Amino acid sequence: MSSGTPSSTITLTSSDGVDVTVERQVAERSVLIKNMLEDLGDSGEAIPVPNVNEAVLKKVIEWCTHHKLDPPSAGDDDDSRRKTTDIDEWDQKFMQVDQEMLFEIILAANYLDIKALLDVGCKTVANMIKGKSPEEIRKTFNIQNDFTPEEEDQIRRENEWAEDR
Amino acid sequence: MHAQFNLSVDDSVFLPTINLVWLAQRPVPSVKREALSRSREVTCAPAFACPNAKASRYPQTSKCVAAPIPGLGCASSSLRIVEPRVFIGFLVFTEPCSASSKTYLEERSVSLSSSVPDDPRRRAVALMDRNADFEADPPRLPRLPSPADSPSASLAASFRLDEGYSDDTTGSQLDHDKLPHLPGDLVTLPDWILAQTEGDRAELAYNLLRTLRTSALAAVVDRLNPLLHMDPVLKLPPEITSEIFSYLDPRSLLTSSLVSRAWRSRISDPRLWRDLFIREGWRVDIDAIRKYEQEQSEQLSLQSRKSRSRQADPDIGEPKLKKRVPQGWFESRGADSSIHAGEMDTTESGNLPDKEGDHQMSDASNDRKASFASQPPESPTSHSRAAFESARAVVQAGPTAQPFPPKSSIYTRLPGGTVKINWPHLYKQRRRLEENWLKGQFTNFQLPHPAHPEEAHQECVYTIQFSGKWLVSGSRDKTVRVWDLETQRLLYRPLLGHLKSVLCLQFDPSPSEDVIISGSSDKNVIVWQFSTGQKIHEISSAHSDSVLNLRFDKRYLVTCSKDRLIKVWNRRELTATDKDYPSIHQGSGVTYPSYIIDTTELPSPVLEAELARGHIKSLEPYSLLFTMDGHGAAVNAIQLNEDEIVSASGDRLIKVWNIRNGACLKTIIGHEKGIACIQFDSRRVISGSNDDTVRIFDHACGAEVACLHGHENLVRTVQAGFGDPPGAEETMRLEALAVDSSFWRAKRAGEIVDQAPTSMRRSGYVQNTAGSREPKDIRAIGANIPPGGGGSAWGRIVSGSYDETIIIWKKDREGRWVVSHRLYQEDAAAIASGEQAPIRPGTMHHPGPQQTEIPIPPPQGQGPQQPTPDPNVNVNHADAATGAGNATARPQQGNAWAQGMVRTNTLLPRGRLHAPNFRSAPAGHGPAARLRAPQHYARYMNHRMNNGQEEPPRFRVYKLQFDSRKIISASQDPRIVGWDFACGDREIIEACQFFQGL
Repeated sequence: MSSGTPSSTITLTSSDGVDVTVERQVAERSVLIKNMLEDLGDSGEAIPVPNVNEAVLKKVIEWCTHHKLDPPSAGDDDDSRRKTTDIDEWDQKFMQVDQEMLFEIILAANYLDIKALLDVGCKTVANMIKGKSPEEIRKTFNIQNDFTPEEEDQIRRENEWAEDR
Repeated sequence: MHAQFNLSVDDSVFLPTINLVWLAQRPVPSVKREALSRSREVTCAPAFACPNAKASRYPQTSKCVAAPIPGLGCASSSLRIVEPRVFIGFLVFTEPCSASSKTYLEERSVSLSSSVPDDPRRRAVALMDRNADFEADPPRLPRLPSPADSPSASLAASFRLDEGYSDDTTGSQLDHDKLPHLPGDLVTLPDWILAQTEGDRAELAYNLLRTLRTSALAAVVDRLNPLLHMDPVLKLPPEITSEIFSYLDPRSLLTSSLVSRAWRSRISDPRLWRDLFIREGWRVDIDAIRKYEQEQSEQLSLQSRKSRSRQADPDIGEPKLKKRVPQGWFESRGADSSIHAGEMDTTESGNLPDKEGDHQMSDASNDRKASFASQPPESPTSHSRAAFESARAVVQAGPTAQPFPPKSSIYTRLPGGTVKINWPHLYKQRRRLEENWLKGQFTNFQLPHPAHPEEAHQECVYTIQFSGKWLVSGSRDKTVRVWDLETQRLLYRPLLGHLKSVLCLQFDPSPSEDVIISGSSDKNVIVWQFSTGQKIHEISSAHSDSVLNLRFDKRYLVTCSKDRLIKVWNRRELTATDKDYPSIHQGSGVTYPSYIIDTTELPSPVLEAELARGHIKSLEPYSLLFTMDGHGAAVNAIQLNEDEIVSASGDRLIKVWNIRNGACLKTIIGHEKGIACIQFDSRRVISGSNDDTVRIFDHACGAEVACLHGHENLVRTVQAGFGDPPGAEETMRLEALAVDSSFWRAKRAGEIVDQAPTSMRRSGYVQNTAGSREPKDIRAIGANIPPGGGGSAWGRIVSGSYDETIIIWKKDREGRWVVSHRLYQEDAAAIASGEQAPIRPGTMHHPGPQQTEIPIPPPQGQGPQQPTPDPNVNVNHADAATGAGNATARPQQGNAWAQGMVRTNTLLPRGRLHAPNFRSAPAGHGPAARLRAPQHYARYMNHRMNNGQEEPPRFRVYKLQFDSRKIISASQDPRIVGWDFACGDREIIEACQFFQGL
């Protein structure tokens, strides 16, 4: 479907009003855009992407460009897929951005319905959490501990069952 | 005078500093720059107008100049000129900023936007107004210690504290600072700065920062760092964080739940824990859960209707005793719970009638009614409603000794009133239950109830099966008995009908089936109605010798016998057009009675016509369909799964048959002696043999993937739970492939990998055959499942042997099967019946059931129905040691279905046994025989030697079964004994109703 379509590029307008031209095949990594193009036809007009600003949009397009030849994601959630948080090297590099950008990418991927990118983003965040102590996690994400020491104790006690076996 | 200049890092927080940021509008003329760099006297701190000056014009940051400002009370000051248009200055006050200093600064239009440091402890950042004309009256800055001289640490620290371009005041760093937060220390940026574009502001900030020495810069970076970090839980919607959390293991999740309240609440997402639960390979009874949720929702809505009529707004003025909906698994303080406990104790009453009628659904259905009917969450508990409340409160009555509040966390109530099962809780309880298995913590019980020894079988028990709360047993005493596991009592009188020992049976208590089928050494098979005990059918002389095993499903009954044959019978009336009607296999090994027609030979119109004319009669239930003749010795065991039968025989072979036509599909070779028991699923076949081993074979190709050495005699009964999580098929295939390729790699590398075990042994290597993936240990390649058979980490095999023990096998971290615990049938029987644990070697005696010390049974029907578990129920190892020390096990009544006579038992921690060679860590000093460590087995057997003459065995294990919670086994002893790994824990027991085995 991506190849052979007459217009090979489309234009997206970011939330901050910047027009970005992108290969149609690339843009169609986004299920949202793909459906939009299928439903409305390609009028040649710019498609507004109201939730995504230029910087993020460009980043997302960068990802889609690199992955434009990937096979479409294999259907719905398969639980076995979940187990691993491995991320391929290029994606790892791609995700080396500041946290705001990371979260924005995740939100954009969610909004634009780009499952694979959403997965990579979520895995990236999961890897930031894995193996860390609560304090380290707080530091990682600049979170204020709003538990009282007693509460913390209580929760710790409740969690004792999960000690290593 | 305040802190002089010799500040250390620690007191740097009190550093009286003013940071002056002088922003110049015009570039510094080169001459002046030169002057600046040379002179100690700063004659001009000029302001030049050149907003667009390019940084490249000022490639070098000017040197640092610093000078004391006369009359300012400043011990030090420093000034830097930054490339395009920025100066930065520090004034370090050594004494409180005087009025004259203020004036001086003000005169120069240095805006001290934040409080001027009247208090030397205060810091201020001052920005110089852009209109300041320093050319006119440049501050004279004679030399004082320059920043280079000053302790860098203090500067760094001051920067860390003073920098204030954000309103981030909540960073965790502040926790480390003793400095109280001063709202006034933030700078109000001039509008003209704020009016710049982001890029320009960034440029400005960058340039500003470039003026700093590395240490100061690092400190700024340190302070800025939190700004670069943000809370995903706040930033991202729940559906996305839930996606993120789904990549985490339970441990990481629990750790994360300590991060903050918001995190905790997101992590208690039921879906997350349901998925985790399922991914562990654990099974749940989804129907039971749905039913439960529905029932509870209805009950609660009933209650809330009632309560609404009494109190308009239940949320306001909530009574102190109000039970809150357990919001996840958090909250609940001790004080609150003790109140509940007290309240409950006084409102105890009888059991609620069992409305559900779902006995067979649950192992603990009594307990379940007990524990859940209650919980009037959201409904204010008013004592005036005692009648209504107390009925429900019963259930609440809980162990006060427990650290958990005596309320059920097993469900949560959504705002709409719908009740949902509390998955985090369920996960936790399953995990705790598994922990008990691993630690060997259990209570023992027996059938019959020790108070009713007259209900016991008269002789040894060859076969048992349990399902829900029912257990059916068959004995050498020719009877079949049906037991209620909750009461440990017989459901009805023993079933008489067989003329000899009952060797095998299966039952299905579901209303649609309602059947028990038993086979005997009298060669007959009897079909009984489960609910009534009526004999409804008998297949006389089903075989020409003892019926050793039988299995049935809805369609077929399969029997096997000492006569070496396997027979398949229909359970429903069958016509030739029925899809379950056998087809004819053209080959040897299977014979069909003459009345079975080959439907493929008749065109269907003819067939139908024949049927219509009554020439072909339909088959009555329990007609013989065909006989499979393939084994060379007695067929000891069969299993039935979908369209396959697997049989195990004394001829050492395992055979797989097609149940549609009786064709033998494959033969699996492996055991060195006759095979006594078998189990299989679509992926593997597990068997126990007279060669003392348990073996696991790849179902698809017959390759042996594990051989478990541990028993010292014939393995008579085995059950395995691999706990395949979703997607296991693929996982296992990949694992198997990886094992194969590592094998080939090793072979190519010249390692000795593909030798027979014996030649391996000769070369000094003992193969691990219990699931090791080492190339050297691989005995078969090309399997579809990895060594050990795959499955989840929680996989479990339980085997019972003529060595009078039961072994619980588990997988070690490398996936090899190891002995987790060895249970002694004899000990369990002794403990469960209230005897003292068996004694040391040589002094052992065995009181028969009639001698059994009978404990006082709890009054039937009435009395402490409610589990009031002994605080000792949750034994830990220490307790166990002392408990064992004084050898008398303590009775406890916590367990609904084993109330009366239960003993808490704990196996001492012990070294792992790596099959095949026993290598165990030094055993705990098993204080009593019942806590025998595995290596005591030899002694255990030795003490049987009486004056050199071996006593006959008395506890050979004939049949066992386990589920998520318990093992029950039958042996030579007439008592059926059980190990309950819920170990009397209320919460585990409560959750067990939803658990299924692995």
